[in-house]
Amino acid sequence: MPWEYSDKVLQLFQDAVRGKAGTHMGIIENPDGFGEHGSIVCGDALRFSFRVKRHPTDPTRDVITEARYQTFGCTSAIAASEALCALLEEGQKTPIAALHVTNQDLIEYLGGLPDQKIHCSVMGAEALQTAVIDWAQKRGVDVADFLPQLIKEEQEEGRIVCRCFAASEPYLRRKIRELGLRTIPEITNALKAGGGCTTCHHQPGGLQDLLDEIWGTHAPVDSTPTVAIDKAEADRLSPYQLGKRVEQVIATHIRSLLRAEGGDIELVDIQEDRVYCRLTGTCSACPGADQTLKMLVERHLKELVDERLRVIAV
Amino acid sequence: MDTIYVDNNATTAIAPEVLAAMLPYFTDQYFNPSSMYDAARSPAEAIEQARQTIAHCLGGVDPDQFLFTGSATESNNAALFGTVQANPQRRQVITTAVEHPSVLEIGKELARRGLDVTFLPVDPNGELELETFIKALSSETLMISIMLANNETGICYPVAEMARIAKETDPRIIVHTDATQAIGKLEVNLATHLCHVDLFSFSGHKIHAPKGVGALFVRRGTRWRPFILGGHQERGRRAGTENVPYIVGLAKACELAVAGVGDEQIRVRRMRDRLQVTLEESIPAIEVNGKGARERLPNTLNLAFHGVEGEAILYELSRHGICASSGSACTSGSLAPSHVLQAMKVPFTAIHGSLRISLSRYTTETEIDRIIQVLPEIIANLRRLSPYWDDRNNCLALPDDPAG
Repeated sequence: MPWEYSDKVLQLFQDAVRGKAGTHMGIIENPDGFGEHGSIVCGDALRFSFRVKRHPTDPTRDVITEARYQTFGCTSAIAASEALCALLEEGQKTPIAALHVTNQDLIEYLGGLPDQKIHCSVMGAEALQTAVIDWAQKRGVDVADFLPQLIKEEQEEGRIVCRCFAASEPYLRRKIRELGLRTIPEITNALKAGGGCTTCHHQPGGLQDLLDEIWGTHAPVDSTPTVAIDKAEADRLSPYQLGKRVEQVIATHIRSLLRAEGGDIELVDIQEDRVYCRLTGTCSACPGADQTLKMLVERHLKELVDERLRVIAV
Repeated sequence: MDTIYVDNNATTAIAPEVLAAMLPYFTDQYFNPSSMYDAARSPAEAIEQARQTIAHCLGGVDPDQFLFTGSATESNNAALFGTVQANPQRRQVITTAVEHPSVLEIGKELARRGLDVTFLPVDPNGELELETFIKALSSETLMISIMLANNETGICYPVAEMARIAKETDPRIIVHTDATQAIGKLEVNLATHLCHVDLFSFSGHKIHAPKGVGALFVRRGTRWRPFILGGHQERGRRAGTENVPYIVGLAKACELAVAGVGDEQIRVRRMRDRLQVTLEESIPAIEVNGKGARERLPNTLNLAFHGVEGEAILYELSRHGICASSGSACTSGSLAPSHVLQAMKVPFTAIHGSLRISLSRYTTETEIDRIIQVLPEIIANLRRLSPYWDDRNNCLALPDDPAG
């Protein structure tokens, strides 16, 4: 589907790509706050840092003066990063106040985002929170007063629910509540979780279970469970003895014959009565050479190993 | 700004000759070819003429073995479901992990219905291993379905060889191939090297005919059952009033495509190769996906750039009027990157930054020049924004734990 981005998204993206004055791409050396979200494995990632004007006595009254980002991601991921930095700088916010910047604020600043791109704004809000926690530690501010739940989560890693996008249970629980996500597609749009292999949708302890538990309802089932395709088959290798014998006959009788003609043979596989082998020869002038070689090999194997064997050239 | 269209594996421009051949069947010759009056003779004959042209182009086989469909996707559905329905005694289907979704998703559906479906893996060069294929063959094997050439990477698979091995293993194994990307780019002959292929799908809109028309070849004697019922058309093998102008267009396009396999594709290959080599020289940390494969379609170039994301590349290209595509998660409709590139194990630092450029006979050297001119700067600009790019040393910069 063609792009459905707002003019603001496109303008921010273009300015960023062209490195226009006033854009916020970059890193701050020794930043007062630093946070990351996403990873290159997942397809988008944001590295965010800010600098504050320090208040001489009360760190909670520090003011963010400069915000910078580096972003790996699509058009809207880059635009959302610009929006995040611009919002903070324009707002002259304290880091504590910045914690109240939500992904919804970013979406508004961007003039809207397509549903399947909501996660770009969530990425911005998450990186910001991590950066504020970093600032709080550096400045000796007890951020637990402001975000007790968040801190608790930072401390316990939690079970991974969506492996494709490494989304843990505590993280999912918090975001489902925070963003009011009611269905699996909403989770995927906002957090990407569930957007890969889809195994976590309906497995025990999966996304649907989390939704049911949190909202106490049964949200509509949105997708058919995929069936794991088990390719582990019964071992169909031919009996060891047959293989051994065929190899032996090739070594003692066939290879020397073929080599005399400038050719060679490589055993590829044996399945039931079928011997697959790679035949090479230099009798290339003769159009029937392939067939002749095949029959030569087959005759020896029939005679010396088993009458039922067939040779298939690979 | 002129449009530079290099997304021909997605769809193609309609050739003027094709359009001209179709037009009379929109206006004067609108009659239902099944009708009895004299006036209906012309559209009915046009369909048979189209069938003959196509049969001639694809090896001079018996025209009655072709039936017209609405798309290659329909042909693939008919080929797989029709074969499974007609052969309930066998339960194993062998296909590959890199098929187009119109085969891959049917494979998954058949597995859900209880069949044993094997998805053959590919190596990092994107190639299938014959050894793995042979191991997968069993007395339960009902059919194999392997594409002639991959739509994303252009890698060609040894279908003729695999078909022969399957038939020599057991003549009852039915062989299907999706030839959608191969026609007009490779030698395709159902009488000679593809003589062991029973079912063969392709469509019009990849060869400069319109969207909405395809064909399925069903070799005489193949145990197969019609998929779309409800009418006697196509000898009861595909019901529904024939789309006469589109069928005429498909035949004309097929004729032009097959005639172009020689010189025209050599010219296309030369342009592709020049584009590839120049970009490899001018852009650091670039992957050419499928470069190590024995054979690639002459028109297809699948690239991956480390440290940047594909959708952003496409957007920037589009600003320069260049239309291409990407296998990145943000463009695929799902959140996972291309299943083909995943199967090839393209490095995780590059898999989200893929770009497919696919040429056609209408692509010009000037257009290639323009891509060569703008793409390196686009990649450099995006890398400047990326946390995974070291600007000073102009190389990829990864955090210690990439998965974290």
